[in-house]
Order: sequence, then C-alpha cells, then structure tokens
Amino acid sequence: MSEEASELARTTEHRLEELEKGLFTSDLSVNEFLLIKEVGFHPVGFVMGSSIYHTGIQTRKWGQSQELTKLTEAMYNARELAMTRMEEEAAELGADGVVGVRLDVNYYEWGKDAAEFIAVGTAVKAEDGVSRLNKLGKPFTSDLSGQDFWTLLQTGYMPQGLVMGTCVYHIAHRGIGQTLGTTGQNVELPNFTQALYEARELAMTRMQDEATQLGATGIVGVRLEEKTHQWGSHTIEFLSLGTAVSKTSDDITLAKPITIISLDN
Amino acid sequence: MTEQSGVPDVAEQRLSASSFSSGLSVSDFAACLDMGLEPVGLVQGFCAVRTTSSLNFGNGPAGFTRSTSPYQLSSGDYVENYQCPHGMVSGEHRMWGQNYQQPWIENTWRQGFTNAFTRMVKEANTIGAHGVVGVLDNVTRIGQEGVLEFSIRGTAVRVPKLPAPSSGPWTTYLAGQRLAKIIEAGYVPVSIVAAVSSVRVWASCITEYLMEGSGMTMWAQNSDSVEVEQIVSARMAARALVRNSVRAQLHGDQLHGVELNIREHEFAKGDLEIQPVLRGNRIRRFKDFDPLPAPRLTVRLS
Repeated sequence: MSEEASELARTTEHRLEELEKGLFTSDLSVNEFLLIKEVGFHPVGFVMGSSIYHTGIQTRKWGQSQELTKLTEAMYNARELAMTRMEEEAAELGADGVVGVRLDVNYYEWGKDAAEFIAVGTAVKAEDGVSRLNKLGKPFTSDLSGQDFWTLLQTGYMPQGLVMGTCVYHIAHRGIGQTLGTTGQNVELPNFTQALYEARELAMTRMQDEATQLGATGIVGVRLEEKTHQWGSHTIEFLSLGTAVSKTSDDITLAKPITIISLDN
Repeated sequence: MTEQSGVPDVAEQRLSASSFSSGLSVSDFAACLDMGLEPVGLVQGFCAVRTTSSLNFGNGPAGFTRSTSPYQLSSGDYVENYQCPHGMVSGEHRMWGQNYQQPWIENTWRQGFTNAFTRMVKEANTIGAHGVVGVLDNVTRIGQEGVLEFSIRGTAVRVPKLPAPSSGPWTTYLAGQRLAKIIEAGYVPVSIVAAVSSVRVWASCITEYLMEGSGMTMWAQNSDSVEVEQIVSARMAARALVRNSVRAQLHGDQLHGVELNIREHEFAKGDLEIQPVLRGNRIRRFKDFDPLPAPRLTVRLS
C-alpha cells in the first residue's frame, strides 16, 4: 500500500484544491489562531491521515514476560502510516508544519482485530516565505496547542516532529506454586518490576531514536500511555509520545510572567 | 537489571543519548529555562509488589473472624473498641465494633513507593542531575493476581556551569511557575514527601444501623440526626496518622503544596477501609523573604 499511500483519495484532492484557493479550515480556537498569526504562521488547512491495520495475533507464553515484537511493529507502522499520510496532505498544501496533532485509535464492530489509526492536525505555513521544513525535508509536526507553540518559539526552540516509540509487552502470569510461595507476604516481585520497567524504557528509547534522526536537541511534553487494546489484561502497549524540538536561536524573548489576581468570580 | 540498583540496563543506554527528553509541558519547560534550569532527561522508577490478597489491597493477616480482635494481629498504634449497648445476643447482631490501623498496608505502600523513588533518583544520578521537577506518582493494579505497581517519574534538571552534585538530587512535585514562585519567595525544594495510612472499620451495631438508615427507631436513642461516632473517629484517626508520618519525614524543614486524597472502600456491609494519601514538598529557606511585586488585577473579557 506504500505506493498508493501517496495517492490520496480523490475527494481529498478536491478538498485540498479548494484550500489552495485561500479558504482555510482549522480546528484552532480563536486564541490559538491569533497566537499562531502572531509568531508569523498562517493556518492553511485541517489535515488528516488514517490507516486501518489488522494487528494480528502473536502467541504468548503464559508464564513468560516478553516483548511481542510483531505487535510492536504493527502498532508502530500503523501510526507511522497515518502520520505520513497526514504529512503528505500538509506537503500538498505547501505547509511548513502541522500543529495540534492528535493520534487516535478506533475500533469498529465490523473489523475484528482491525483498528483504525488516525492522525489529525492543522497545517500551518510561515508568512515570511522562509521554509521551516525539518531536517528530513518534511513539514514539522507537533501535538502542541497554539498557546504552547507560541511559548516554545519565544524560548528559541522550534518543533521538528511528533516522535513516538512503542513496545507491546506480555506480562507473565504467575504460576500457582509462585503464588502459594508468597501467600501472606507483601513482597516486591523483581521480575514484574523489571519487565514493565524495561518495556517503558524501550518505548522511550525508540522515541528518542526518532528525535535523533530529526537532529533534535530534545523532546518536550513526553507522555507515556499504557493501553491494553483488545488483548486482555496481561498484554500492554507502552506508547511514548512527545514533540522533538531543536534550538534555533539563543534569544529568549519570553516576557517575565507577572502575578495577577483574577477578579472573575 | 543489576540486583542492587533495580534499574534496567536499557535505562542507562537511553539516558546516555545526546538529546534530552522532558515530561514537562511547554509552559513548565519555558519556566524551567527562565529559572536557569536545563532539562536533561525524563527519569522514572518502578516497583511491582505482591499484596496479600488477590481480591483487595487490604485484607491483612487472613483468617480472623468477628470473635477475635484483628488488632491483636495488626500491632498498629491506633485501635478503638465499640461495645454494643443493647445486651442482645444473636447471630445477626453485632456485639462489638472496632477501628484499627493496618500497618501492613502502610508498610507495603512505603516499600513500593520508596523502591520506585530510589530508582528514579538513581536514573537522575546517572545523568548528573541537580534536581528532579514535576514529579508524578501513581499506583496501578496489574492483572488479576493482586500485583500493584508503583511508578514515579519526573524531569531531571541541571544547573549549567555548576559542578555535578555530590549528593543525590533534590526532588519536587512542583514545576513551572509554581516552582519559580517558591524560589522567588526564598525557598529551595528539598524532597517530595508522601505517606499513606490505613484504618479499617468494623462497624458496631449502632454504626451499622445508622449507616444503613434502617432500624433507627428500634435501636437508636431517638430519631434525630446524630453523628456516626465510629466513622468520624476512624476518619480523624486516619488523617492524623498520615499527617504524623509525613511530619516525621520533614526533619525540621517546611511543607508546601500539600495534597490529601482519601480513598474509602467498602469490602462488605459494615466493613470499610479508609486510606488517605498525603503528598507534599519539603522546602527550606535559603534567603529572607523578598516581597513579590504587587499583583495586577485582571478581568477576563470572555
């Protein structure tokens, strides 16, 4: 599907054509819109990408904690595809980046084991005409709100891309013998601790690798999500997400905050 | 995983990467830079603990019945007995009630929390952090086998041009402007403090009737509104216990930004657990109070 991926649906083209004529759509609030204008960007359109993925099954050993690499790969590729398609829509509009990106997973009744991964956001373009594409020549993406985008730019940082890493891990069931052995005691279970600990560290390492590819100096707003999807309670996906940023100027133009007393209510 | 530290090897690889990661929101990140703190990495620590019962986190020494006092097994500091004033003997009627502390739960919690915290601090140490800001902690249940996982994470920060710290990093739940204001007011963060207490309530006959709202006319002195003495007393005791154990961790420092969460769980009729968790920030004065500029009054136009 990778070749067809660039051929966006025909309806998309029509919608994007209209957008090129100057009309724009965005899911920005009024405040966000004004702040984005203030830092010299103009919204060019609401963009999205989606991918319906069959996540398949991987056998798990009842009593063993391990990473389920096939599932990890599937979850990662599906999101990556959705993101790439969104970036393509943005590139088609000549955008420099996408702000306010949301990544969602939907399950439908008609598709057992199939999940739809969606990425949506608002494409923006710099008004001074200078390209703000990232190191890979793609529009930058970020899950920052308009307010956050403004604030970040004031600190001399520029978003490079929404980066993520994932790890699907199966956590061992405890055998009856093990359970009986510790009955009546509150004890640490080092194997459990290690398994979960490692899964999260792996997800975060993968996220950081993506950031390094973008030549980013760091990642802000890292979130770690844990989802069991439809696999039962012992198989967990650890997903870490954040916005990779790089320092573009040493000026911090952020004004010193002032203390206020709100007189509302 | 090296046995003493409990921090997996992958963690060290991750933290040695050249780019930083931070769990701070953009506004907290900006405030951090403004204070002269440089985020160096998101650090985390975990600990999975098996609790005694697969059904609930709080069944303690198993196998006692209403005829034995669970307090004898609990060896806690707090116990209170409630005798039945009616002199009735029947299988249904509760002859006595008891409030008692459940130290084994407090110990499990402390063990899990401390291990996770120590591991987070170790991660921060490996990257030479001076402090950890914006700490978040959480307890979640894994599977159905009574396993609880304690997790603590935060963003490690460094003060540029300062030599690497000789002792462990300071830690705080605060981040962004809330931290900036504390420092502006002349305080430095020392450490996060947190504690739990657990009080179990076995309702006496009077408490049971009052809680149920039935049988009032039969057993209670009159039908006016009355205080449910046993529950009130248990809640007060639980709060006092958790406050005392947090106070014991202060070592003469001050406590700021305290948050109290009380969880109540009813295992069965007339059998409940009160479990408050108290969190706060240990802070220490480093300079005299320098009055903040007078705040400006604002009104929103929306």
